[in-house]
Amino acid sequence: MEDSRIGVFVCHCGLNIAGTIDCEAVAKFASTLLGVVYSTDLLFACSDDGQDAIQKAIVEHDLKGVVVASCTPRTHEPVFRKCIEEAGLNRYLYDQVNLREHVSWCHMNEPDRATAKAMELVAMSVERVKRLQPLYRDTVNVNPKVAVIGAGVAGISAALDLANAGFETYLIEKRPTIGGQMALLDKVFPQNDCAICILGPIMASVGQHPKINLLTYSEVDDVGGFVGNFTLKVRQKSRFIDISKCNGCSECESVCPVTVPNEYEFGMAQRTAIYRPFPQAVPNKYTIDKLGHASCRIACPAHVNVQGFIQLLRTKKFNEALELYREATPFPGTLGRVCTAPCENECERGKYDEPLSIRNLHRFLADREMKSGVSPVETLPIDKEDRIAIIGAGPAGLACAYELVRLGYPVTVFEARKKAGGLLQYGIPEYRLPRSILKTEIERVEALGVEIKRGSRVESLEQLQAKGYNAIFIATGAPSSRRMGIEGENASGVFYALDFLDHVNSGKKVSLGDRIVVVGGGSAAIDAARTALRLGPKKVTIVYRRTKREMPAIPDEVEQAEKEGIKIQFLSSPIQILESDGNVVGIKCIKMKLGDIDDTGRRRPVPIPDSEFNIKADTIIIAIGQEVKPTDLLSELELTKWGTVKVDPQTLQTSKESVFAGGDVVSGGTTVIEAVRDGKRAAKAIDLLLKGHDISKEQFDVLRPIVSVQVDEVRMSREPRSSMPKLSIAKRKSTFEEVELGLSEKKALLEAERCLNCAICCECMQCTTVCEPDAIDHSLEDEILDINVGAIIVATGFKIHDPLATREFGYGTFDNVITNAQFERLTNAAGPTHGKIKRPSDQATPKRIAFIQCVGSRDRRFDRDYCCYIGCENSLKQATQIKEKYPDAEVAIYAMDIRTHGLGYEALYHRAREMGVIIIKGRPSEVEEDPITKNLKVYAEDLYTGERLETTYDLVVLATAIVPQDDMKSFARMMKLSTGEYGFLLEAHPKLRPVDAFQDGIFLAGACLGPMDIPKAVAYGKAAAAGAQSLLAPGKFLIEPTYAEIDTELCMDCDLCVEICPYSAIQGSGEERKVMHELCQGCGTCAAACPKNAIDVNHYRQEQILPQIEVAAKFIGGDSK
Amino acid sequence: MSKKKFEPNIVAFTCNWCSYGGADLAGISRIQYPPNAKVIRLMCSGRVDPIMVLEAFKNGADGVIISGCHIGDCHYVSGNYRTQIRYQALRSALQSIGMNPERLRLLWVSASEGEQWAKAIAEMTEQIKKLGPNPIKAGG
Repeated sequence: MEDSRIGVFVCHCGLNIAGTIDCEAVAKFASTLLGVVYSTDLLFACSDDGQDAIQKAIVEHDLKGVVVASCTPRTHEPVFRKCIEEAGLNRYLYDQVNLREHVSWCHMNEPDRATAKAMELVAMSVERVKRLQPLYRDTVNVNPKVAVIGAGVAGISAALDLANAGFETYLIEKRPTIGGQMALLDKVFPQNDCAICILGPIMASVGQHPKINLLTYSEVDDVGGFVGNFTLKVRQKSRFIDISKCNGCSECESVCPVTVPNEYEFGMAQRTAIYRPFPQAVPNKYTIDKLGHASCRIACPAHVNVQGFIQLLRTKKFNEALELYREATPFPGTLGRVCTAPCENECERGKYDEPLSIRNLHRFLADREMKSGVSPVETLPIDKEDRIAIIGAGPAGLACAYELVRLGYPVTVFEARKKAGGLLQYGIPEYRLPRSILKTEIERVEALGVEIKRGSRVESLEQLQAKGYNAIFIATGAPSSRRMGIEGENASGVFYALDFLDHVNSGKKVSLGDRIVVVGGGSAAIDAARTALRLGPKKVTIVYRRTKREMPAIPDEVEQAEKEGIKIQFLSSPIQILESDGNVVGIKCIKMKLGDIDDTGRRRPVPIPDSEFNIKADTIIIAIGQEVKPTDLLSELELTKWGTVKVDPQTLQTSKESVFAGGDVVSGGTTVIEAVRDGKRAAKAIDLLLKGHDISKEQFDVLRPIVSVQVDEVRMSREPRSSMPKLSIAKRKSTFEEVELGLSEKKALLEAERCLNCAICCECMQCTTVCEPDAIDHSLEDEILDINVGAIIVATGFKIHDPLATREFGYGTFDNVITNAQFERLTNAAGPTHGKIKRPSDQATPKRIAFIQCVGSRDRRFDRDYCCYIGCENSLKQATQIKEKYPDAEVAIYAMDIRTHGLGYEALYHRAREMGVIIIKGRPSEVEEDPITKNLKVYAEDLYTGERLETTYDLVVLATAIVPQDDMKSFARMMKLSTGEYGFLLEAHPKLRPVDAFQDGIFLAGACLGPMDIPKAVAYGKAAAAGAQSLLAPGKFLIEPTYAEIDTELCMDCDLCVEICPYSAIQGSGEERKVMHELCQGCGTCAAACPKNAIDVNHYRQEQILPQIEVAAKFIGGDSK
Repeated sequence: MSKKKFEPNIVAFTCNWCSYGGADLAGISRIQYPPNAKVIRLMCSGRVDPIMVLEAFKNGADGVIISGCHIGDCHYVSGNYRTQIRYQALRSALQSIGMNPERLRLLWVSASEGEQWAKAIAEMTEQIKKLGPNPIKAGG
C-alpha cells in the first residue's frame, strides 16, 4: 500500500457540515495520513465547481483512490462515482464518509468531538480506499414489459402512460373491477365534478387498450428475480364465470338468494353472492363470491347443501329449496324428524347465540309439500344396462337406490319384511315419525323407478348374481339387541328394546307391568321408555351408568322424556335382575362415579364399592346396543370380529369385488344420516366400478372448508332459534300422536333469516338456470400465471379507517352516525338511495347535519398522529352538496382546524362559508343518541369563544383517517419493500426519489405511500411510469459488481454457503462451484459464514473491512485532537 | 491514556438498507446523540463475520453494535437470522474470554426509526461508561 495515492475531499455543504465540524482541520488531518497525497476542503463537493476540483486533482496528482467526506452515500455515492469515472478513475476506487447525517446534524452541540469523529471516519475510509479494487459492471438486458399492481387512479394512470409509450403492461387488480376508491366517489373536490364521469372513460380505455393486459380479481402470490427481469406469480382468482361469455346482463343477480353487506357501498346496502361492484365496472363482468363449503354442509354425513336450501327457503322458493335438499337425500321429512343433526353442532351461528334449527327447516319444507299436495313424480329414464340389487330397504338401502336410479340404473331392492323403511319403520316410535311421512317418501323413491320387493328375503349372493345383477349393495342392518350378560336376564318380563319397539310398531300387543325399568342411554332407550309410557303403565325409570352429559340420545328427546314423567337414574349400573318364580320383580344396581376418559372421549364409569341398591320392577327393557345377526348371506363375506361386514372404508367394497355393504350391517349401529351417507357412497362407487374406473384411486366427497369465515360480529343481532311447538304433556301419555308439531311458515322464514351465509355463494345453482350465454361454471378453479417483466409499479392504495372497533362517537351503535365514505354513497346517484340524502334510522331527509373531523387521524391514541390530507376538503365538499340540495339545512363542521392547502381548496372553504356552512373550532367530546327520535346531541367546546355547545343533529358524519391496507406488511415483505412508521410503503428518498423503492426496478405510486388526493395520486402514477420507462427504454441495465466470488482452491465443499444463500446463487461443486452473478445480490452472508474464507464479496472483502475496524477501534473518541 | 473523562469508543456495523438509513434519518431529523459510535456500512448485517467483532475488541473498542433490519424485514430475506445466531455465539465467546457480553449489542433499526437509533446509541454509550474501558486495552 506504499504506492497508494489517495485524495481526500472534505465538503462543507454550506454550513450543514461546516457549521459544526472544522472542515479545514479535517482536511489538514487527512493530509497527514499515510497514503494520502492530496487533501482539501470544498464548499459544495457535489456542485459543478466541487466536481471539477475533484477531477482536476485526480489528473494533477495521479490519484488512485478518492475519499469524499460529505453527506450520506445513499443519495450521493452515484454522483461522485460518475465524477471520478469521468476523470479516468475506476468508479469503485471510491468511498464516501457521511459527515452530515452521521456527524454534524446529530452532534450539533459538541463541535470538538464532532470534528474528532469526522477525522476518525476519514482515517477509516482512507484505509478502506487503499485496498479497494477496480470493478466493472455487467450489463443485463431489460425485459421491456412492466407490471402495475393495483388499478386505482394511480395505477391506471401509470399503466396508460406506459402502454401509450408502447410498453406491454400488465395491470393487476385484487378486486373484480378497476377504478379503486375514486370509482366509489360521487363528486371530487374542489370543482365538485362527477367522479365516475371523469374516471369512467379512462377505465374503459384501459379495458380496451391493446397494450394493457388487464388481470382483475388477481393477486400477486410471489415475486422473484431482479431489476430488468422480475417474475411475478399471479393468482387469477376464480370468478366462477367464463368472462369471455358473460355479457353483464345481470339476470343471475336477480335470482341469487344470498345477500351480504356490500363493501362497495360501505355496508349501506346489501349485494348478492353473484355480483358486479357497480354498473360502470371494468371489465363489465360478474363474479361469484365463494369462500368454500359451509361447515354445516361438511358436517352433514350426506353433505346436504344446508346453506343453499335455507337461502332458497328464505326467499320463499320453497319448491326449489326442497329440490335442492333432495339432491342429497330422499328423506327431507323423515330426517327432519329423526336426524341427530350433526350440522347444527358445527353451525357458525352457534358461536354467537344458538345454531340454526336446520333439521326443522327441511322438515318444514317437506310438511309444506305434503299439505299442499304432493305433485306427481315422473319416472326417470333408465339408460344403463347394468342391473343392481340392494338387500334391505332401510335408510342405507333406499339412499343407495335413490342415487343409482337417478344415474339411470335399473335397481331392485329386496326387503325381507312386509314394509320398507327398516328401523325407520320398525324401530322409531310413531310419536317421533308418523308413518305417513315415511310412506310418502319411500313411495316417491319407488315412483322414480326403483323396484322394492317386499317380503322377499335374499338367502345367497350367488343366487342374486346368477340372476344377472352386476352389483349388489348389502344394507341388512343390525337388528339384534345386545345382551347384558347378568344374572336373571332370562326371566319372564325381560325385553330388548329393538324387539319391544318392533312389536309395538308392528301393531302387536305387548303386556307390560306397572313398573318399568329401561337400561341404557341411547336413542333406543329413550324411545323404548317413552313408548312404554304411552302404553299406560304407572312408572317408567331409565337406568344409565353415566350422567346426562354423556348420554348419546338427542338432548331434546331426553328433556322431553323427563317432562313426560320418566325418571332417569344416572350413574347406576345393573348387576342383577331380581326374579321370583321366574318373573321379574326388580333390578339390582350399583352406584357409579366417573373416572378417566376412555377411547370414546367420555369419562369411564367406575363402580362405587358397597353401593348396591334395588329398584322394584315388573318389566325390564334392555337398550344397551344392537348387533348384526349372523346369516347365511353374510357368511359368504369376510366379517370383522364383531360380526359386521368388513369393507374398504373409502369405497364400502366388501371382500367380493362387485358386492358393497353399508349402514348398520357395517357400523354395527349408528345414525340414520350416516346410513344415508353409506348408501350414497356405495352408489357412487358402484357407478364408477361399472364404468370401469379403478375405485381405489377415486376421491369421494371433495369439499373445501372455508379458510376464514367473514362474520360481521359487531353489527350482528343476537336472536335465539325459533322454538318448536309441541303436543301437550297430558295428550302425550295416551297417544302416539306426533310430539313436535312443526314450524309455521312465519317461524321458518325468521329462522332462515338467521343464517350467516358463511360460504357466501351457497351453490343453489339458480344462477346457472337463468344465464343465457351459459357463462357460469361453479367448478372453475384459480389460475396461476407466471409473468416476466422488467419493472414493477406498486399502486396498491389505502384503506379507510373503520371506527367500528372503537365505536368512536357512537359509530356502529347509533344508526345515524356514518362516515364520509358512507355519506358519499348517499349522494351518489348509483348508491343505495339513488342520490337522495336519507338518514339510516328512518330514511328521513336530515335537516341538521354535523361533520366531525380527524376521526382516527392526528390522534396519538391510535399511534396515528398524521393528517389524512383530504378530510377537510371532503367534508367541505359534502357540506356544499347538502347546501346545494337543501339550502335551509343546518350544516356544521367540527374541526381542530381546517386545512385547505394549495390552489382551489381555500376557494372551496370560502364557498362553503358563503353558503352558510358553520365551522366550529373544537373537537366534540361526545355524541349522545335520543333513543326514540334517534337524533344526536353533539357536545363540544368552541375554542374561540370558550362556549360549551350542546347541539342536536339528525345526522353525524365522521371524517375518518386514511390507513394502510390490511395486508400491507405481508405484501411489503413479499416484494422486499420497506414500510415506514405508520405502515405505508417507504420511498428511496422523501424528497428526491419519491416514487422509487429501495430496490432497483420497483416504483411506488399513489396512497400506498401515504394519504394523498386524486391529482397527487395521478401525478405519482405518471411519475412512476416515467421512472419505469427510463429503465425499460434503453433496454439494458448495468448491475452492480458487488457479488460474491469463490476461491475453489480454498473451498472444502461444506455447502454451508449454499444452505444460507436466499437466492440459490451458489451452484456446482468442487472446481465447478461458482456464484451466479446475476442471481447474487451481494449481501455477504455467505462470506461471513465460510469457515475457510474461500468466499468473499467484491467491494466488501474482509481485507477491506478489517483495517477499517482496526482504525475505528484504536482511535479513542475525543483524543485525536 | 489521559486522565480525561472516559468516553467509550464504539464500533457500529450497520446494514445499508435499514439501519444505515435509520442513522441517516436521525441526522436528517436533527436528533442529537453522543458522538461515541462510528458506523461501518456493510450491505447486510449478515456480512458481519464474528472475526470482525473480535478484531474490534482486540484493537481496543469499548463496545460493538451490530445493527440490521427487523427480523422478517431483511432486504436479503434471511441475512439477519444468521446475524442473530452469530450474535448469540459471540456473546458466549466473549464471556469465555472474560469480556462482559454486554459490550456487544444487537440492534434492529428500520430506515424509519431514526429516533430508535439515536436512543440506542445514547443507551449503549451510558452502558459502556458504566462498564469502563475495554480491559484488553487497559492491559495492553
